[in-house]
Amino acid sequence: MGEAVALLAGGDAELYRIIGRTLAISAVATVLAMLVGVPLGYGLARGRFPGRTLLLGAVNTGMGMPPVVVGLVVWLLLTRSGPLGRWELIYTREAMVLAQFVIATPLVVGFTAASIQSLPAQLPDLLTSLGAGRLRKLWILSREARLGLLAAVMAGFGAIVSEVGASMTVGGNLRDSTRVLTTAIVTETSRGNLPVALALGGLLLALAFAVNLLLTLVQQRRNG
Amino acid sequence: MLTLDVVSRRGGFELRAGFAAERGLTTVIVGESGAGKTTLLRLAAGLDQPEHGRIALDDTVYADPGGGIRVPAWRRDIGYVAQDYALFPHLTVEQNVAFGLRARAAGRGTIAPRVAEALRRAGLVGLAGRKPAMLSGGQQQRAALARALVLEPALLLLDEPLAALDLQTRRVVRGELRDLLRSLHCVTLYVTHSPLEALLFGDRIVVIEGGRVTQTGTRDELLRYPRSRYVAELMGTNLFAGSVGAGTGTATVRTGEGEVAVSEPGAPGEMYVTVDPRQITLHSHPPEGSAQNVFTGPILELAPEPPSGERIRVALGTRPPLVAEVTREAVAGLSLHEGMTVHASFKATGTRTYR
Repeated sequence: MGEAVALLAGGDAELYRIIGRTLAISAVATVLAMLVGVPLGYGLARGRFPGRTLLLGAVNTGMGMPPVVVGLVVWLLLTRSGPLGRWELIYTREAMVLAQFVIATPLVVGFTAASIQSLPAQLPDLLTSLGAGRLRKLWILSREARLGLLAAVMAGFGAIVSEVGASMTVGGNLRDSTRVLTTAIVTETSRGNLPVALALGGLLLALAFAVNLLLTLVQQRRNG
Repeated sequence: MLTLDVVSRRGGFELRAGFAAERGLTTVIVGESGAGKTTLLRLAAGLDQPEHGRIALDDTVYADPGGGIRVPAWRRDIGYVAQDYALFPHLTVEQNVAFGLRARAAGRGTIAPRVAEALRRAGLVGLAGRKPAMLSGGQQQRAALARALVLEPALLLLDEPLAALDLQTRRVVRGELRDLLRSLHCVTLYVTHSPLEALLFGDRIVVIEGGRVTQTGTRDELLRYPRSRYVAELMGTNLFAGSVGAGTGTATVRTGEGEVAVSEPGAPGEMYVTVDPRQITLHSHPPEGSAQNVFTGPILELAPEPPSGERIRVALGTRPPLVAEVTREAVAGLSLHEGMTVHASFKATGTRTYR
């Protein structure tokens, strides 16, 4: 345990790089998931089109998809002999962003759809009648549903910052480029460095808690 | 003036309707649930587009699918009040009322005074800073109305504005709303399923049944000349439809449910026969005498007529169903009660015929 604390307090440069990388990759993936997932979630909540129920089912399934399976599929796409091999993205941070984006998006879509559906049923029509065009309508509805949307952010970020299967598979856990907190824990555990692994685990928990606390504060303050 | 003549098909339901609504008048669209009245309102608002037809407000064409014109709701000069009000939950009353003005980019300096005036007229001045959840039902209704009216729309659309209120509040708000609507100069469309509201608010009444307009007119026109059983029930009167041969004096109109003796039918052919409920007499034994129409059946309901209950409405399960209006003394004298079989009679001279 002493080693764990020493490591944390030691100011190890490599550790800070790992932490920074973890946050950066997951943050970018979350933002992308929001950009794509919020409009999709809105369309799913409000749209009336054939196959809607099927799509809702697919989103719900996607929310519970094993990250390692996503990792495998993305790996197959990006590997040198795969369809996107010439992009040379395998074992890069970009590949990890892609895989995490795929994991987070169904969560964002699902949470957004639920929060839009919880608004007064005639609110979108009312907005239109008051003179709001499509873009303005989406903006206002997002603000009205912000409690649910912040929940979507927390759910998406929480899922991907803590997953290891996809990050390991497509990132390769390369020490200086694609190692993040979760994959570092796997490495240290397999080497038997249990205090270090525990310290990293504690750090990951603290990080996830800090981000969620920040988002919760924003959410609850706006709710007042 | 709003002119509307549309065909709309959604999910197996077809609406084919046309009517005109004048400025300064409240045109009530009345019908049962599922008759198509909300669809009609949404078409007028531009929330839905018709498949065929034309909707125009004065010289501005809002919809003409054949001519490629489909003006969406946010470009129409409308104010819309939804059944559940749909006030923005996270905005204050003042922000709610101001919303439409901001969305339509009204001049910055004009928004605040217009909102203040709208709040004052709606009696919401002290509540401007509250969120909708902190308002009573009646206050929410006034806020939703203020939000629509502050835009000074040419077309005001009300979707069952009193439906979400409890009875007590409804009674109070009803009177205020009627006074308010009377003071407006726009075209007002008011959708309801309540016969009482139709009669109270409707300068003109448009009756919708099963996706078709069955009758339009003033209160009096509908009362004196109903053209469908639903309209007769709405107005609380009796209607037969049938045909008669030529003749003067007393003649017999053959309806699907029996024969009715009428006076002065005029030319032969199809016609309507209406009988005022007060012309109907109830008997516990088959009445004697001539020139009487007699229908026998059970009493379905006895309802005192407001305000004093001196007169009682009696709904009869006769063929066809009839409504009679008798005095309280008559009810007591005959010991009338629900389920009792009675004979309802009216004279040929008590009927009115028209085509």
